[in-house]
Amino acid sequence: MDIRIYNKTTSKIDSIVVFFYICLIFIGFISINSATSVVNQKLYSFSPIAIKQLIWIAGAFIIVLSIVFSNIVVIDYFAYGFYAIAIALNVAVLFLGKEVSGAKSWFGYGGIGIQPSEFAKIATALALAKFLGTYGIRFQGFKNIFICFMIFLLPMAIILIQNDTGSALVFMAFFLVLYREDLPGFILLAAVWFLVLSILRIMSEANGISSFYGYGILLGLASMVVLFFRKDKEIVKIIILVAVLSSLFYTVVGTVYQQILQPYQRDRIELILGLKEDNKGVGFNLQQSKIAIGAGEFWGRGYMQGSQTKMGFVPAQHTDFIFDTIGEEWGFVGVLIFLLIFFGMLIRVVILAERQSTIFGRVLGYSLASVLFVHLVINIGMTIGLIPVIGIPLPFVSFGGSSLWAFTLFLFIFLRVDQVRK
Amino acid sequence: METRKNRQFVYIALFILIFLVYTLRIAHIQLGPVPYKKMAIHNALNKITLYPSRSNIFDRKGKLMVYSTQMYDLSIFPHQITSLDTGLLCSILEINFQQVRFLLDDATIRSNKRQKNNSYNKSAIFYSNLSNGQFALLRENIYRLKGFFIESRTDRQFSTISASHALGYLGETKEPNAEIDNYYQAGDLLGITGIERFYEKQIRGIKGVKTVWQDRTYAERGAVHDTQFNYPSVAGPDVTTSLDIDLQEYGRLLLNGKRGSIVAIEPKTGEVLVFINNPDYDQNTMIGKERSTTFKALLLDPQKPLYNRAVKGTYPPGSTFKTVMALIGIQEGVLNATTTHGCGGGYRLGSITVGCHAHGGPLDLRGSIRISCNSYYCQVFRDIVDNPKYGDIKLGYAALEKHLRSFGLGRQLGIDLLGESKGNIPSVGQLNRRHGERWKSSTIISLSIGQGEILLTPLQICNVAAILANRGWYYSPHLVKKIEGYSDTGWDRKYKIKQFTTINPLHFVTVIDGMSDVTKPGGTANGTGIADIEICAKTGTAQNPHGRDHSIFLAFAPKDNPKIAIAVVVENGGFGATWAAPIANLMIEKYIRPSLITSKPDMEERIKTSVIK
Repeated sequence: MDIRIYNKTTSKIDSIVVFFYICLIFIGFISINSATSVVNQKLYSFSPIAIKQLIWIAGAFIIVLSIVFSNIVVIDYFAYGFYAIAIALNVAVLFLGKEVSGAKSWFGYGGIGIQPSEFAKIATALALAKFLGTYGIRFQGFKNIFICFMIFLLPMAIILIQNDTGSALVFMAFFLVLYREDLPGFILLAAVWFLVLSILRIMSEANGISSFYGYGILLGLASMVVLFFRKDKEIVKIIILVAVLSSLFYTVVGTVYQQILQPYQRDRIELILGLKEDNKGVGFNLQQSKIAIGAGEFWGRGYMQGSQTKMGFVPAQHTDFIFDTIGEEWGFVGVLIFLLIFFGMLIRVVILAERQSTIFGRVLGYSLASVLFVHLVINIGMTIGLIPVIGIPLPFVSFGGSSLWAFTLFLFIFLRVDQVRK
Repeated sequence: METRKNRQFVYIALFILIFLVYTLRIAHIQLGPVPYKKMAIHNALNKITLYPSRSNIFDRKGKLMVYSTQMYDLSIFPHQITSLDTGLLCSILEINFQQVRFLLDDATIRSNKRQKNNSYNKSAIFYSNLSNGQFALLRENIYRLKGFFIESRTDRQFSTISASHALGYLGETKEPNAEIDNYYQAGDLLGITGIERFYEKQIRGIKGVKTVWQDRTYAERGAVHDTQFNYPSVAGPDVTTSLDIDLQEYGRLLLNGKRGSIVAIEPKTGEVLVFINNPDYDQNTMIGKERSTTFKALLLDPQKPLYNRAVKGTYPPGSTFKTVMALIGIQEGVLNATTTHGCGGGYRLGSITVGCHAHGGPLDLRGSIRISCNSYYCQVFRDIVDNPKYGDIKLGYAALEKHLRSFGLGRQLGIDLLGESKGNIPSVGQLNRRHGERWKSSTIISLSIGQGEILLTPLQICNVAAILANRGWYYSPHLVKKIEGYSDTGWDRKYKIKQFTTINPLHFVTVIDGMSDVTKPGGTANGTGIADIEICAKTGTAQNPHGRDHSIFLAFAPKDNPKIAIAVVVENGGFGATWAAPIANLMIEKYIRPSLITSKPDMEERIKTSVIK
């Protein structure tokens, strides 16, 4: 793609996405206010944390305005530069950052902190969009696929080193982006297959079942398929390769699970897989979260009436577990409306991505949709006990400046790209 | 480039799939069967019990007898205790490490039990009844004891220690006391004996509740304003007893050094004026921290200070019973004012002799009471039970028994105390078992003079005096006159029913004339009377198989329009006239002329200072 200067504003910023965006910010703000309010707080007064969020929101609007009214958007030109800066910041935070709840991922200035990993997502998306826009995924076969992978696996690895597992996991979203960009389907199939293998191995480990059963079943399955396709030498080769890789993977998962994971991490995983019942320790948070959402019933307990969230039974009630406040205070009706807004936004972003004339724009759109989607799946999944408790924020809703600003930046850069599409 | 355009639908499908899965999962949580809302409320609400003050209890003149004071407990939220400064706790409470552990486990168990019962109150008392010193130290150091807090409740303070057996003492419940109702939590105080027990439901008041929000660390986060969750405690209503404190204290002084009881009743109402036992105990040692140690000591005391003789002790009434026997004789038509019987220093009947003291000449009815002639009453008794109109002694005895029971004997009088004894009036069946089927009047002749199987409580003896004073009727004796705000509830219904004896009121005249002679020259209690007060009395000297005779006296005064009926029992006191009569007469004097000093200072001094081993 040529270097181009977007200076035409022939169409408008997509108002549907902007509407959803404002809705989410608003829901987030009132939920934060409620979750952090004191008992019997007046309906129209704000808690100190809510006021802080208001400042973040004001900052977000400044970002929105500066993107919308910047006449020159040279975003794809500087894509690699942003990426380099993001990588550098994330490495720097390892040495200069302060530790917050076990993760060394914050630059702190007094009471305000900035989390560079939040901004790494958009930088990675830009770099990936730029790369694919230039070469396409299959341009040079596996070499390009490898580079694509490296673009998002590098920041992911650095963030893992920061010990921020949740944020690192989000980078898996780029798999989905690559899928749209002609990533061979079997790679995704393989990913699903390996996930199934992992779960099986963990379950047998937790239940103390000998790994020989697993190997036996793999061998049996492979033999049967080989017998079935014995005429086709190519398929037989692939199956044998898959079987060997699977066995290896199966062994590695077992070793990692037993030797590398910390006991508390094992607990979390086992809890989610239903291998463990525990309402005191690790399970306490999950149980309290479910109580909070469940207490909402159909119509909710009413604004500022959510005792589970307000009284701190739910951990991180205004950040990672903000969804509990929505569930408790607005009930099933509120949750449904919220999910419709969020998924509506996701689908709208996919539609916008599809109407892009450039691969750059499309990849950027799909990156946005995928990252938002993975955040949503993990964040809400953890509050309702479908996914291990992994601390990542709910985009636009959770308290926090870094997350809000980074997503706002991401969203409006894409909307601006969409606005000036050909 | 557009070859993979269809893959956008895989995305959309994935979104919709996740949307459906999550929506269903959330619907299951929010609309499913698990009562999450209840669990949330249980989490966040803490109901703090507001303990009401127990009733203030007054005497009949409005003098305060018992009132409520603050008492402090050290309570805990067991789940909030993460680390514990055991040393600090030990030094403040003066207990050792093992005790701390024990108390902690115990409180935790109680708290868990409460939680299981879905109680909103998650705290439990760790150490009750803090002393003033402990309270002061704890208040300073409570911030160092995470999970601990000081709770206040009310305890008792007695402004008189003379009415311990009437008022009763409090104790702590160990378990929710289902015997009364499910009002109590372990550690709550409730009345164990006396008025405190009998009127527990009124006296305790009504507990209040203050509901507060609490967070995950059980820290209070503000009040719940919903009135449904808050109601104030209601103090127990003022209770007015019928007792007279001044008289109680005076009686206690007189009974000093002697075992026995004094009971006095206002005849026209059945109100108990005096209710004293000796030995008794100092109620102010039965409060606060010392309660349980004092209680154990009192329980083991060989003097049995907790024993409520006045309603539980049973004694043969001795000669005091002759008044009743005379009335029954008149009612049965075998005796009248002019009936005379001789006495040769005793009553001989075959092999049995009932002794009598030396006195001159044959006596009429009035004289028989004055002199207390045994022979006279042996004859009267035989005339009653062997009355030819019944033909059979058992029918004759049954008639006597019926009359006796109409005096409230052989059954509970229904006083407002628990554990009242019935005493004993032997039935025909009981006599059959005791003496075989073929007993005769001579077999049971000792009943005539209030000995043998007949047993009365001091309260019953006093009630007989009240019946004599009323000439034939009584109200069930009772200790409580009035409960503020309960006048319409009918709690005192049974104390408003006039109970009649089977004796015609006209028959009382001669017997009472006889009784009015008792304290005069020639009477058995000569010299104990009080000038200007016409006391009608009867002495009794109850033979006691276990030791010296009991000194017994019943009396009422004045003769016309009586104001007080009294019974005094002094165990092992010997003659009724020696101890019981002076005590009773001094009490009568004190009641009728409360402002004056006694006209018999020597007698008073002798009684006060005498000790009977």
